[in-house]
Amino acid sequence: MAENEVKQIASKLESLRGSQLSSQAPPLLSRAKLALLRLNALVPSEETHKSHLHLATTILELGALISIRLRDTESFTRYYQQLQPFYAIEGSAWSRSHAQSNQSKVTGLYLLLLLSVGDYAGFHTVLEGLEMSAGNEKLEKDQFIQYPVRLEQALMEGSYDKVWGETKGEHLPSDEYAVFSEVLINTIRSEIASCSERAYPSLPIANAKNLLFLDSEGAVVQFAQSRGWVAKDGRIYFPQQEEEMLAAEKDVMSASGMVIENTLGYARKLETIV
Amino acid sequence: MADKMVDKMDIDAVNGEKEEVKVGPAPNLPAERIIINNFNLINQAVDAFDARFTLRALRSIATIRKADNFAEAIAVGIKTAFPKPRDNARRVLEDMLPERVRTAPGAGSEANGNAKEQDIAEIAEVWAYLGVLIQVYLYDHQEYKKGANFSTNFVEKVRSFNRRTMDAIGAKAYFYFSLFHENLDPKPPSKQSPVIGIRPSLLAALRSAVIRKDAETQAAATVLLLRNYISTADITQDDLLVAQTQFPTSAANNQVCRYLYHLGRIRAIQLAYTDAHDHLESATRKSPTTGPAVGFYQQSTKLLIVVELLMGDIPSRSLFRQPSLEAALHPYFKLVQAVRVGDLQAFLKCTGTYEPQFRQDGTYTLILRLRQNVIKTGVRMLSLSYSRISLRDICTRLGVSSEESAEYITAKAIRDGVIEASLDHQNGHLVTVPAKDAYSTTEPSEAFHARIEALLGMRDECVMAMRYPMNKHRQEIAEAAKARERERELAKEIVEGDAEGDDGDDGGFEGM
Repeated sequence: MAENEVKQIASKLESLRGSQLSSQAPPLLSRAKLALLRLNALVPSEETHKSHLHLATTILELGALISIRLRDTESFTRYYQQLQPFYAIEGSAWSRSHAQSNQSKVTGLYLLLLLSVGDYAGFHTVLEGLEMSAGNEKLEKDQFIQYPVRLEQALMEGSYDKVWGETKGEHLPSDEYAVFSEVLINTIRSEIASCSERAYPSLPIANAKNLLFLDSEGAVVQFAQSRGWVAKDGRIYFPQQEEEMLAAEKDVMSASGMVIENTLGYARKLETIV
Repeated sequence: MADKMVDKMDIDAVNGEKEEVKVGPAPNLPAERIIINNFNLINQAVDAFDARFTLRALRSIATIRKADNFAEAIAVGIKTAFPKPRDNARRVLEDMLPERVRTAPGAGSEANGNAKEQDIAEIAEVWAYLGVLIQVYLYDHQEYKKGANFSTNFVEKVRSFNRRTMDAIGAKAYFYFSLFHENLDPKPPSKQSPVIGIRPSLLAALRSAVIRKDAETQAAATVLLLRNYISTADITQDDLLVAQTQFPTSAANNQVCRYLYHLGRIRAIQLAYTDAHDHLESATRKSPTTGPAVGFYQQSTKLLIVVELLMGDIPSRSLFRQPSLEAALHPYFKLVQAVRVGDLQAFLKCTGTYEPQFRQDGTYTLILRLRQNVIKTGVRMLSLSYSRISLRDICTRLGVSSEESAEYITAKAIRDGVIEASLDHQNGHLVTVPAKDAYSTTEPSEAFHARIEALLGMRDECVMAMRYPMNKHRQEIAEAAKARERERELAKEIVEGDAEGDDGDDGGFEGM
């Protein structure tokens, strides 16, 4: 009974397109999860039937991908966590081949999510786990995983033009990844902005347009205003530098406080030793 | 109590003449002698409630496991400790030894004499010690399956005894328990490995150890759990475990080393390099640099080098010249050379050549993260050598794909404070700002502070690591009480003497 229901819902979910998604998918998913609970398959155990495992993974993966399309990152994270025990069961144990599953797609999306919120520690933790369990060759061929890995490398290096290139449509391994492009572009834009503030004394607006990947000079001026830069005579001036000079002077003041504190600390320690 | 006396005397009778070799068994003794001597030590530990005797007994395992007749020696030991052949405790142990050893006429028969009513509880430590010996024997003969089964029951039994004098032996038992499971197929990185199955019992051991204030088992269980989680790359669980538990301060030095190493590893994966560096540095400093533990020293040094590189520091050359490290660290030496000069090509070549080695050490993913450091160093080198350099040149020197990339990379380097420079976008130049005098900044004082801090930390640790004999203060109290007693007696005598003297005086006076 419940098994058929889940199957029906799964096929229905796969056929959903566009605007139907936001209205119809969530109630369908909760119904599917209820049915899975009745089958006792939402959390895998040793007794869970193989076909039920398949069903549960399919539903959860669909749920994860739909959450991404609906930009609901919290529910995506939940689905990802729920999927972990299923992925921990070895493929051969329930005749599930690597190719037909969405495992690497979902994992890749999770990596991208971590990257987009700037959780590098979490990113590397997940990646370490993948390296250990999957082995190198498989991972290097996996475009879904390699995509976030490449992005992270480019981000850490500072080759922002590479990141920009990667977010273009033709490089994306699947449509779901496009959801993060916008977030990533915003991230690199603010990174570039903070770098430019330090690196350039001033910058012509036309060049800034290219540097910041903005469409028009008007957008540049708008962006400049939002960051508090001064745009005049066709150039952008970065006022932060002067403020930093002031801050540096203040640093010296606070540094003397630090020196006094440290010296008192040494004296106290010396007293305990001697 | 009487039983214990009998038991003790029994063993004394067996090796009465060997009484003087209590301090560390001499290597030329036959293995069975050492084992029987150790019974004595363990009994002493139980009587005096002093764990040091037990530790001494355990230390000799390294010597006796190398003996040719190790199995026979254990059999003799078992027969001595449990003279009754139908004894349940004895059977459990003997079942693990090969048939030929079991049936061989044992030298232990002489001890059968008057030890009929031995109580299991009284010599539980001896039994546990023999159990550990069996574990060692099975491990040396690679009978992992058998060992795992035996150990599972064994540690349960040890835990149920709840005796503080057994803590040191129990910790060892858990160590082998986990070691056996690690060697069962499928081996750890796989998610189906048996090591996952032993987590509940390790956690249970940790729980009971904490409740019983059993620092030895607590330390051992914590370290084993950390290792267990790392082996299947469950870094998140590891992190939670560290956050939720306290490592006992009184743990043995080698457990502390292991704990620090695992902690350093977790922090390195989580990109907390400063923490990782602190932990790994302590681990390498505390670990023995020679002898059988040199593997640990090498491994932690490898990780330390990678973390240091990730922090942007270059390990000192002298590190690679130590005889115990030189060969093992060769790949890392090449790596450091590449990073030091900022040569991206050499770096890629090095990671390519030594990839299997790095993978085996579990440092490969960390090393891949070094790429950006190599680039940063390269940028710094260029900025130090040229006061003005075009972006095109930077691009070719660093081996970066495009001029745009080079511009962004240098801009990021400027923001991150790697170089002091500014970019001229129209002309495509990087202009270096002349270096400031380092002594006009706070840098020297910071470096000074860091050093002082490290030394003070080391001193504090040394003070805490000092060992004081147990019950010393009680002795002192007793002595003080005795001294007071003596004083009182003296005072009394003086008073009496005075009185006598007075009498005498009086008498003298009278006599006058």
